[in-house]
Amino acid sequence: MNRLALAASTALITLAAFAADDPKQRQDLTAVIALQGKPCGEVVSYVAKGDNDFVATCKDGNKYRVFVKDGRVVVEKQ
Amino acid sequence: MIRISLLIATSLLAAACGSVAPPPPPTQAKAAESASEVPAKAAPPAPAKPAAPPKSSPAPKAPAKQQPATPPPVAAAPPLDLRTLEQRLKDSDAIGVMTKLSLKNQVDDLVAQFRTYHQGQRPPTLPELRRPFELLLMKVLSLLQDKDAALAHDINASRDAIWGVLADRDKLAKFL
Repeated sequence: MNRLALAASTALITLAAFAADDPKQRQDLTAVIALQGKPCGEVVSYVAKGDNDFVATCKDGNKYRVFVKDGRVVVEKQ
Repeated sequence: MIRISLLIATSLLAAACGSVAPPPPPTQAKAAESASEVPAKAAPPAPAKPAAPPKSSPAPKAPAKQQPATPPPVAAAPPLDLRTLEQRLKDSDAIGVMTKLSLKNQVDDLVAQFRTYHQGQRPPTLPELRRPFELLLMKVLSLLQDKDAALAHDINASRDAIWGVLADRDKLAKFL
């Protein structure tokens, strides 16, 4: 029972880490999306899916996957 | 007789000048007044002497003040070394990692367009490349200006130097 609770809490902590809300990262994603000329306004939240791979939610409701592929930053509308 | 009357006139004028002289201590006012009034009254010998120093003194003072005022702009803001600029941009905390990478992508794309131009292909022409160059520079400046104003200022000061490198095939080749 204790082991199960520990595993569950670890999973929750890991999930929280991936969905971390670092203001610097939000600003970075906002800037990247703006640089690509996509409508967004401001990133209000994001989920990290991996290294340099994010799904960003914008203030205007748009969602973008922002990731790096072959040394290029790609912004894909979700 | 003439000498006596001249002496009296001189002393009277000197007394008159003594009572008038205290009010205009500012040299500029004196100069203005002397320029407009004294020449007309300059005939009497006595006022000519006190009026002469203010006339001559403001004239050399004005250029002396102007000379030190002009040199600073000449020496100010030397264009930034582009290698240093690149390194400072990489090191700046004002821009996030993803943004830097995205900017680098756009710089690489622009440089590729300049290489196409230098290979002799048309379009793009040089005037056509000026607009994307300015646009990219504005993006960089807008990202930097709030958090790294010094770097933004230096990049802006180097605008022509950067364009000079991009527009010149030999200079660009040295940077690639």
